[in-house]
Amino acid sequence: MTATMTTAADLSGRLDTVLPVLREQADAVDTAAAFPERSVAALRESGLMGLLVPTGYGGLGGDLRALVSVAGALAGECMSTAMIWAMHCQQVVALVQHGSPQLRERLLPRIAAGEVYVASVTSERGKGGHLFTAEAPLRRRGGRVLLERDAPIVTGGHHADGFLITMRDSESAGYNSVTLVYADRAELTVTPGDGSWNPMGMRGTHSGPVKLTGEVDESSIVGEPGAFRTVAVSGFVPVGHVAWAGCWIGGAQAALRSVLELVRSPAGRKQFDLDSELLRARLARARLDLDTMAALLAQVIRDIDQGGDPEDVPVQLRLNGLKVHTAERSLAVIDLLIEIVGLRFGYMRGTAMPLERLFRDLRSASLNYANDRLLQANGTLALLDRAVTLTY
Amino acid sequence: MDDAVLEKVIRRHLKNLPEDQELAPEASLKELGLDSMKAVELLFDLEDELGIALPDNAMTRETFATPASLKQVLLDAAAVS
Repeated sequence: MTATMTTAADLSGRLDTVLPVLREQADAVDTAAAFPERSVAALRESGLMGLLVPTGYGGLGGDLRALVSVAGALAGECMSTAMIWAMHCQQVVALVQHGSPQLRERLLPRIAAGEVYVASVTSERGKGGHLFTAEAPLRRRGGRVLLERDAPIVTGGHHADGFLITMRDSESAGYNSVTLVYADRAELTVTPGDGSWNPMGMRGTHSGPVKLTGEVDESSIVGEPGAFRTVAVSGFVPVGHVAWAGCWIGGAQAALRSVLELVRSPAGRKQFDLDSELLRARLARARLDLDTMAALLAQVIRDIDQGGDPEDVPVQLRLNGLKVHTAERSLAVIDLLIEIVGLRFGYMRGTAMPLERLFRDLRSASLNYANDRLLQANGTLALLDRAVTLTY
Repeated sequence: MDDAVLEKVIRRHLKNLPEDQELAPEASLKELGLDSMKAVELLFDLEDELGIALPDNAMTRETFATPASLKQVLLDAAAVS
């Protein structure tokens, strides 16, 4: 990772311009299941779309801690916007680490300037969300690469300015020979696929189906042809898990903050019995969940920063475990907070405290790159580490 | 701020201070029985009786060291709010 060039004060100044927009938009975006256009526009203006772009390309050169702190702050206002931004950052890491020099030159300054929001196209009909297989093949014609891709779930697919797309490397290649390709919207015909977007939560991510057809220069291939796994393991997946965890922890943290504010306020103290042992035990549990999530996140960031083998068994266990654990426990925290504040503050829509929305949003966390699949992987990995190597 | 009210509120949380004993401005609240758990109760009590909310960063050992230190922090908080 690039050394941090951004100070906490700089980030907080940029966030000050963005967070009020998210706060103002979050409810409407959720109600309409609409893409948070104004919130993303504010992010473009703020320079934060280029947080992970190196300063040499005009970006902020932020590190993983900066990524987590921004993700958490955004998620405290609007989980959909936070996840849109987090996934954009995940794409940026792949481009920075594995983009060809030509692609980096022409694309990274535009990302830093907020002109290009990059969406991820990894899902495919038939194979679902499995990251390391692809069916639709690339076709090559004289230095040009042709692609035709039908994706059932693309977050921000109708609003992105660019796409990172997983494709089978060629018509004769196996399904696990996956190549990552960047395409600008201008190089593609983007049509809405079959199906609509009306989910329980994360409604602002507008993750509907899209069909993409077009052709790009060969220099738009990101990483070695057929070697998407290398791109994924070295940055795309770790940064994705860290960014998601940052969002989910940030949402739960903001929720606990707002509950503490409520029960501690003069009016709240008339309503909530702060001497109650049950209330205190519940607050303790919520806080403990946040502390353990944050501790695991901190260790995973150390694992990544140390730059060891990302396929080292304990390192992989923690990385997968971070996604599983924060998905489960962030939702559990919201559930517990709803129990604490009750129907009136916890279950109603349109209250000052968006616990109901956060509950619906975070319910998707275990399904988004399914916990079940990661637990299968971790079960296997656990068998490989008979010593049960722990790091602290 | 009404000093008598302030003293009354503080005294409720000092289990080691007999009713007939004076509470000196520089007395150690800790020695008189105010531990960190009790400090939270005292804090809520002060908010209710005096209507002054202390910021979280004022929740320190120094704030709750003596009646005088506590009074100063309350005055500062009241000036801000």
